[in-house]
Amino acid sequence: MKRPPGLLYAVDETPPLATLILAALQHVAVMSNSLVYPVILAREAGLSAWPLIEFGSRSMLALGIGTILLCARNRFVGSGYLCPAGYSQIYLGTSVAAAHRGGLALVCGMTLFSGAIQCAMAPLLRRLRIILPSEIAGLVIAVVGLSLAVIGVRYSLGIARTREIQPIDLAVAGLSLLIMCALNIWTRGYAKMFCILIGMIAGYGFAAVLGLVDLSSALPETGTFAVLRLPNLWVTGMSFDLELLAPFVIVALAGTLNIMGNISTAQRINDDDWVRPEFRSLSRGLAGNGIASMLCGGIGSMGLNSYSTSIGVASATGITSRRVGYAIGAIFILMAFVPAAAVAVATVPTPVVGAALFFSAAFVFASGLQMITARLIDSRKIIVIGFSFAMAVMADVYHDVFATVPPILQPLMGNALVLGTTCAVLLNLITRIGVRKKAILRLEPGQPHRVAVEQFLAEQGGHWAARRDVVNRAIFGAVQLIEILGDPPGGVTLEASFDEFNLDLRVRYRGAELVFPEQRPTRREILDHPEGERLLAGHLLRRSADRITSRTSADQIEVHLHYDH
Amino acid sequence: MSSALQIAEFREGQVCVLCLSGSIDSTNADDMMARLQQAIGAKEKAIVLDFAAVRYLTSAAFRVLLVATDEAENESVAFALCNVTGQVRDLFEMGGLLDAFVIHGSREEAVSRLG
Repeated sequence: MKRPPGLLYAVDETPPLATLILAALQHVAVMSNSLVYPVILAREAGLSAWPLIEFGSRSMLALGIGTILLCARNRFVGSGYLCPAGYSQIYLGTSVAAAHRGGLALVCGMTLFSGAIQCAMAPLLRRLRIILPSEIAGLVIAVVGLSLAVIGVRYSLGIARTREIQPIDLAVAGLSLLIMCALNIWTRGYAKMFCILIGMIAGYGFAAVLGLVDLSSALPETGTFAVLRLPNLWVTGMSFDLELLAPFVIVALAGTLNIMGNISTAQRINDDDWVRPEFRSLSRGLAGNGIASMLCGGIGSMGLNSYSTSIGVASATGITSRRVGYAIGAIFILMAFVPAAAVAVATVPTPVVGAALFFSAAFVFASGLQMITARLIDSRKIIVIGFSFAMAVMADVYHDVFATVPPILQPLMGNALVLGTTCAVLLNLITRIGVRKKAILRLEPGQPHRVAVEQFLAEQGGHWAARRDVVNRAIFGAVQLIEILGDPPGGVTLEASFDEFNLDLRVRYRGAELVFPEQRPTRREILDHPEGERLLAGHLLRRSADRITSRTSADQIEVHLHYDH
Repeated sequence: MSSALQIAEFREGQVCVLCLSGSIDSTNADDMMARLQQAIGAKEKAIVLDFAAVRYLTSAAFRVLLVATDEAENESVAFALCNVTGQVRDLFEMGGLLDAFVIHGSREEAVSRLG
């Protein structure tokens, strides 16, 4: 693991208290933008002022707990990285459809179901990596970035409200964006770290001067407005609908890819040597998100995901400490008890939200592109990524046309992320046909084996564009194995096979079966025991390969060494 | 990509530095043993084995290193390894052998400690 030069606070480091709180507040300000999705959903479900504020408070509570579950680092849940939760358009389209069909109760039931799907997928994530490779996770991140930019532009220009460009909105968004960019590019230290927060505060102030901040629209007309109030939980009820199972499964899958992409990005911005995702962290992060979404459904909110914009903020500011995530979670939980916080969130002027979304979208989009190109791009991947990206863009461009497809296909065709993800997963599966490659080396008795094995595997690794570190491990494994075989009668056959996720060696010979002990031999055993060196060799083989097995068939023994790629 | 073992000798004060390069297995472990025994027999004050250019080593090489460590100790010759990094370090760790040798981060550090 190599620390990137621009990183100020790495994942395991603790910033000074003032920096920690300010960094958390900056994320809270940015993440509060994502509360616009529950607000949109609540309005679509026809909630009036008080129920809307209660829905907002419940959403904040879920956001706080979800962030802690996603960032935590323990054996069961949590990615271990600064990977805050957020509401996103992944859930929005399908949740709005559910709200129109069966009200918030149906939204909650189906959200609980999609969370359960993610929890079920979490322990299987490593096995699912064939259908969810990192370039597809990168594609999802890039599409999310693009979608954020589209929403950012709508909010910045004021066309979300009026379908016409509003000069005042443009001026507020322009000022906010200008300040964010200037501070990020030309300053260092606190100004760079908190560029988004400063830009939003400046934009908020400017919008207030121009009369764009309207507190009365978010306040209830009747009833007392308490300073502190327990969030009203479990009031929406819960229902399920078989016809919405498939769309919510796709939402869970798209959310999973989004989480994989975000956690992978969080891993990568902490490690300059990053080459592939660390799956335990991904699985635990997904489990945390699944539990958080089930909680959302349980207490009466919409589903959430890891928040790509926050990853962009962490990347832009260089503060990636996990403890910032805990602080964010605590702040949102506290905010859930303060109704005024829900009102404040609802009154952040849309052009200011637009500027923050548009600014963060640039980092999210670039992060997705980097993830796509981190591995060698061959024709197969070009087709998968290119076609799927185009389909995602088309879902937005031809939204009106896609709205005329049969109702069962609308959840698929009406959302850029869902369409792009589905297209990528299917194309990836189809184009994997015939992707596995194989080569065989025959070692006759008496041949100098090491040189031949090294040359064979190094050349094949080059042809297959396999990662150098994995090929080197395989070379060691083959040489060590053949060394302890000695010179068996009839020689040795070495078969190497490869696809982008697996490098497998099968060594066949006639002779005695080998032992690969779990327990390493002691120093004295290696030196004094007649079998000491062979025991060490067997132990090294077991430890250096990701999996090793030996089986006897007819009069031949086959040792299988497997390396994850 | 062949990587036969090569051993280059450098002298830094009273320290004999043997720079290994290539791969070390049963086909060349005896060559390494002979070179080490020669240095130990020559009553060097200290010997440093530099692994910076070693790609990997097998169990045969580990056994030779353990034997050489014992022989150096018997002859009161200080014996240390340096630049044990990457895959080579992983192999030492897998074999539980990091503690079996005196290992320094760099050649300069090893020479300054043993010189």
